[in-house]
Amino acid sequence: MMNNNFIYIPGKREEKRIPSRVLEEIIHQQIKGGHRNLEIEAFGQHGIGGRLWDAGTDAVHIRIIGHSGQRTGSLGHANTAIEVMGPASDDLGWLNAGAHIVVHGNASNGVMNGAAQGRVFVGGSIGARGMTMTKRNPRFEPPELWVLGSAGDYFGEFMAGGIAVVCGHECEPGNQVLGYRPLVGMVGGKVFVRSNAEKFCEKDAKQVPISDEDWHWLETRLATFLEKIHKQDILNILTVRSEWLLLTAKSPHEKADSPNKLTMAWFRKQVWDQELGSGGLIGDLQETQPGTIPVIAKGDLRRRIPVWEQGRYMSPCQAACPTGIPVQDRWYMVRADNVDEAVAMGLAHTPFPATVCGYLCPSPCMASCTRHKEGMLPINVRGLGQAGENVAPPEPAPKTKKKMAVIGAGPGGLSAAWHLTLKGHTVTVFDTGSRIGGKISSVIPGSRFPQKTLDVELSRIKTLVTDIRLNQDITAAKFAQIKETYDFTIVAAGAKKPRTLPVRGMETAWCANDFLAAAKEGKVKPGKQVVIIGAGNVGCDVATEAHRLGARDITLIDVQKPAAFGKEREDAEKCGARFRWPVFTREITRDGVMLRNEEALPADTVVLAIGDVPDLAFLGEHLAVENGFVAVDRFNRTSDPRVFAIGDMVGPGLITDAIGAGKRAARTIHQIVSGKSTEGIEPLPVMDKNRINLAYYDPGKIAGDLTECGADCASCGNCRDCGICVAICPEAAIQRADLGDGGFEYQVDPDKCIGCGFCKGACPCGIWDMVPNTPL
Amino acid sequence: MSSNRSLEPSSLSLNDLPWQVRYSNDRCTLCGQCTAVCPVKAIELGVFRKRIIKTSISKNAEQTNRYDIFYAIQQRTAVENACIGCAMCTLVCPNDAIHPVKNPGLDRMKFHINQQGVPRRRGGRRNASTSVLDRIKFTRISMLTDPALDAGRHEFEMRTLLGRVLSPRENMKRLREKGWIPPVREIYPLIIGGMSFGALSPSMWEGLQMGVAYLNEEMGMPVRMCTGEGGCPPRLLRSRFLKYVILQIASGYFGWDEIIHAIPHMKEDPCAIEIKYGQGAKPGDGGLLMWHKVNTLIAAIRGVPQGVSLPSPPTHQTQYSIEESVAKMILSMSMAWGFRVPVYPKISASSTSLAVLNNLTRNDYASGLAIDGEDGGTGAAYSVSMDHMGHPIASCIRDNYLNLIKIGKQNEIPLFAGGGIGKNGNIAANAAALIMLGASGVQIGKYVMQAAAGCVGTEEDRCNVCNVGICPKGITSQDPRLYRRLDPEDVAQRIVDLFVSFDTELKKIVAPLGRSTSLPIGMSDALGIDDHAAAQRLSIKYVV
Repeated sequence: MMNNNFIYIPGKREEKRIPSRVLEEIIHQQIKGGHRNLEIEAFGQHGIGGRLWDAGTDAVHIRIIGHSGQRTGSLGHANTAIEVMGPASDDLGWLNAGAHIVVHGNASNGVMNGAAQGRVFVGGSIGARGMTMTKRNPRFEPPELWVLGSAGDYFGEFMAGGIAVVCGHECEPGNQVLGYRPLVGMVGGKVFVRSNAEKFCEKDAKQVPISDEDWHWLETRLATFLEKIHKQDILNILTVRSEWLLLTAKSPHEKADSPNKLTMAWFRKQVWDQELGSGGLIGDLQETQPGTIPVIAKGDLRRRIPVWEQGRYMSPCQAACPTGIPVQDRWYMVRADNVDEAVAMGLAHTPFPATVCGYLCPSPCMASCTRHKEGMLPINVRGLGQAGENVAPPEPAPKTKKKMAVIGAGPGGLSAAWHLTLKGHTVTVFDTGSRIGGKISSVIPGSRFPQKTLDVELSRIKTLVTDIRLNQDITAAKFAQIKETYDFTIVAAGAKKPRTLPVRGMETAWCANDFLAAAKEGKVKPGKQVVIIGAGNVGCDVATEAHRLGARDITLIDVQKPAAFGKEREDAEKCGARFRWPVFTREITRDGVMLRNEEALPADTVVLAIGDVPDLAFLGEHLAVENGFVAVDRFNRTSDPRVFAIGDMVGPGLITDAIGAGKRAARTIHQIVSGKSTEGIEPLPVMDKNRINLAYYDPGKIAGDLTECGADCASCGNCRDCGICVAICPEAAIQRADLGDGGFEYQVDPDKCIGCGFCKGACPCGIWDMVPNTPL
Repeated sequence: MSSNRSLEPSSLSLNDLPWQVRYSNDRCTLCGQCTAVCPVKAIELGVFRKRIIKTSISKNAEQTNRYDIFYAIQQRTAVENACIGCAMCTLVCPNDAIHPVKNPGLDRMKFHINQQGVPRRRGGRRNASTSVLDRIKFTRISMLTDPALDAGRHEFEMRTLLGRVLSPRENMKRLREKGWIPPVREIYPLIIGGMSFGALSPSMWEGLQMGVAYLNEEMGMPVRMCTGEGGCPPRLLRSRFLKYVILQIASGYFGWDEIIHAIPHMKEDPCAIEIKYGQGAKPGDGGLLMWHKVNTLIAAIRGVPQGVSLPSPPTHQTQYSIEESVAKMILSMSMAWGFRVPVYPKISASSTSLAVLNNLTRNDYASGLAIDGEDGGTGAAYSVSMDHMGHPIASCIRDNYLNLIKIGKQNEIPLFAGGGIGKNGNIAANAAALIMLGASGVQIGKYVMQAAAGCVGTEEDRCNVCNVGICPKGITSQDPRLYRRLDPEDVAQRIVDLFVSFDTELKKIVAPLGRSTSLPIGMSDALGIDDHAAAQRLSIKYVV
């Protein structure tokens, strides 16, 4: 009992602790009874001094002696002043809404937890989690906590308002005045702290300078505080401004702007590279460059680069032509208004541009035309061929001293002679027959081409190849002599020996070639019914000729599906020829053909058209032979290095095959006599048709004259010089360079190009390709 | 396709492709960026013919029919050029004119991606997005019963032990007798699993290591990273950062001569040695670094010729039984560092993994067991292995842990779980689930590539071309033109972000369990799942 003005309320009755609920009732009774000063001797009762709103606005003084319990002054009202004469237990001033509380001793954990108003003055130190979750309501003064000594751990957690002053008086030097990890989650309020308090949560709080206004407030209020706890004598000790720190919450922006760690760039430079060496992890193994490269890169950093592949591929038409005529080059000349040159160019490859290209050839070039890819008609080359009829022969190269022999004046032999002559060699052609042209002249029906055209072309050959010896008897001895006399010999004697069947009556049938030759001269009368054994193109020719000579019931029979195709077959079918297969001949009789199934095919004439084989007798024994044909390599060389063989002597084929072989043999011989390797005449790879863009062409249009054909040729692998690539390039990286003499080139500036491949995508001719860039 | 082209069995239309490029000609400015960036040349500039017909029924009107040309981006349909859905085109398109979309069900390419008789190989992981781990819930939330902790306020020490922890009695005995005590490392429970230098680009690998070093040295998080089987750059071996590294040895033994040469010069012991016997992504199959990725640098580090494919055999060649494998390999590796470094095997999850575990319990030198589940990722594997082989990690880790409990060694041999952790982005939840099922820590790989470097691979079979070195993000390429797109520093920063945020999330999960200083390893009473069979299988609560 300290003061007689106070009503004394004991916390015990009859040596027994009064429950908190009962003490609370007693206190409220006293207040209701008009008492405003209560002295309570506490025995750990909960929440003493709080909630005294029954007194209205009257000031209520509570003095607590003994052991104050938890939450003293909790939910405290603004009219209440509490003085705890000794220490205070946990949660002093919990949810304080205005009470002033003085504690003369220490206070344990949780002082002012959740308080929003009121003041708490502690004359000692406080435990953990003081001033946590405190608030400030703008309608009231902020809550204040004054601590003379130090605060325990986790001080000011989630502090959102209010002012705390921790004086650190008589703290152990080196100890944290605010304990361990203070101010975690602080978002508002301020904390004055004296001396050592560096280790606050820098993520949420910051130290700010103490303004004069702040200092004045602190200095003034310190005096009040010390007065309350009866320690006025140390005012001077505590009011050394330099000893005080002021801590406030960081704003969200400050938290965002100052990440509380070192940048990675700093770490890389100062720690990583320091420990590992310059260039970091693999700086010792390869040159490393700092920084990143753009996703869309230029120059060396492009993954793929465009290449202008002019002249690197052969067009499909040229590749398909056994004679190797660069068809698309000719159309390029047509587009460049050089029609004459385009036509004349044919003679550089074949002596028969009109007869063969223009009429007889089944045109493999057209069959392989890229335009088929989209169902468009191929560019017609026949006109270009036919126009070759009236062109003068090219000028041969200056004469060499080499003498060449060609045995056989058929299309293959004449082609070889033609090309050897153009190269400047002296050529002698030998033939057993009485005229030149071989099967074209003697066997192929006149309906297939104009005789005049052939005559013109043969005489053009004769103007160039002057030494043609006809009606020669080429025996083995003669051949051996020729071979010795000439530097190189090309044998092109054709296949004149008909294949026969081992059946009875064989001798009564015509051989196709004999029949055709006789028919051509009008020396045969086949009758009405004709059976042709062998339904190939020669058989078709026989049928056509037989029809011309009066036959009306024509049957072609074969053991397998007829091989006839193209113009020959069409012509035969027009003559009403029937094809029957598979049928097998047993016997040829006077009445016709008897089949193995006992069926008789009546015939006035039976013609055997199952192919011809070469007569190799004149070659003697020394040339290698394979399946009845002369064995040759891809350059048409035989086993004798000075003898070449071409045409039907090496295997059945088209006229254009023989012409091409003649050209190839001539070129190879020329390479050899010029001392050059044969490797130089390797063909280029064929352009992939998928690289050609046909969208540029009108699919409905059928090119008529040469100009239209030139315009609609897809120019596979041969730059049209259209400039679409220059226009399409999004980076303006492509330029056309004029190389003089009509030469040109499209060039890419690597510093502009991004490797998008648009040039490739848009190119009509497949000239541009995208290839992987050189590995770095 | 050309109108006149003949059909082949593998002629596919756009409708058959797994990814279809949606493209707006109206928006496109034909800048070429999409075709320049596409890793597989799936798109190109096309030239198109457009028919313009103008007609009229007036008698004398001119009826016209002509063709116009227009240019647009077109998708290629060849199997080798099929779009992989990486959407780099979308990324670079300035006009938002192009984006790939997944074919909702008409993908016929699966039937053709075996040209020349070579089955599909790819990178990534099992093309299945479901995850049992995602379905596990943490149902024990202590608010009042246990010391309820606040993840944001309380201090946590999220650490785990890698190494053989002796029983207290045995430990005391050895201490008294000055016997050998197995090495134990206190490390962060989220481990970057083995991804080799070679499988990953130099930028990626350096970025990972740098991020790990930063976490250790600036953030105080003892994060560890496994090298994978491909050796280790000599500089790293001789640096103090080696202590953050788990060196892997596998059946190809690539790069180990460099490691042996470096041992006398090591400033620090490595964290541990992982002996790889299997990989969850391709159980029963070996490693494979395809030739595209073996450039001069990789060849040097691995000690092999340049430009050759490097298969590691599915098994270590000179080991013919579990006993022998475990005994030989663990002993050799322990010896190399004077028994100072923990050595543990890594196996693919399997119905036979208990046999391995039981063996390890009898081997004094075994420091733990890492188990990699079927959802693990890989840089290169046959699709069939990836999609159809393997064992889910959850039940495997559970079986092993419960077996350890049965023999009373659950605190002695740590189990590490890997394979599909965070495959749908729920990394902390998946990791915590595995820890509570019994793992001492978890290994992640694919998640790291996704989070730290922007890997676009998904289980919808997006991208997944890690094997052929054309990674559009530069993560798994050895081509400087690709990997220089990636800055190691950025990767390192993202690694830091990943681990720091993971740490917060893990705390959010374990705080309500009242755990702050020890991981809730095997604390399965905290787990529930809404599937009765799964609950029974995993011995956890069935909750609905």
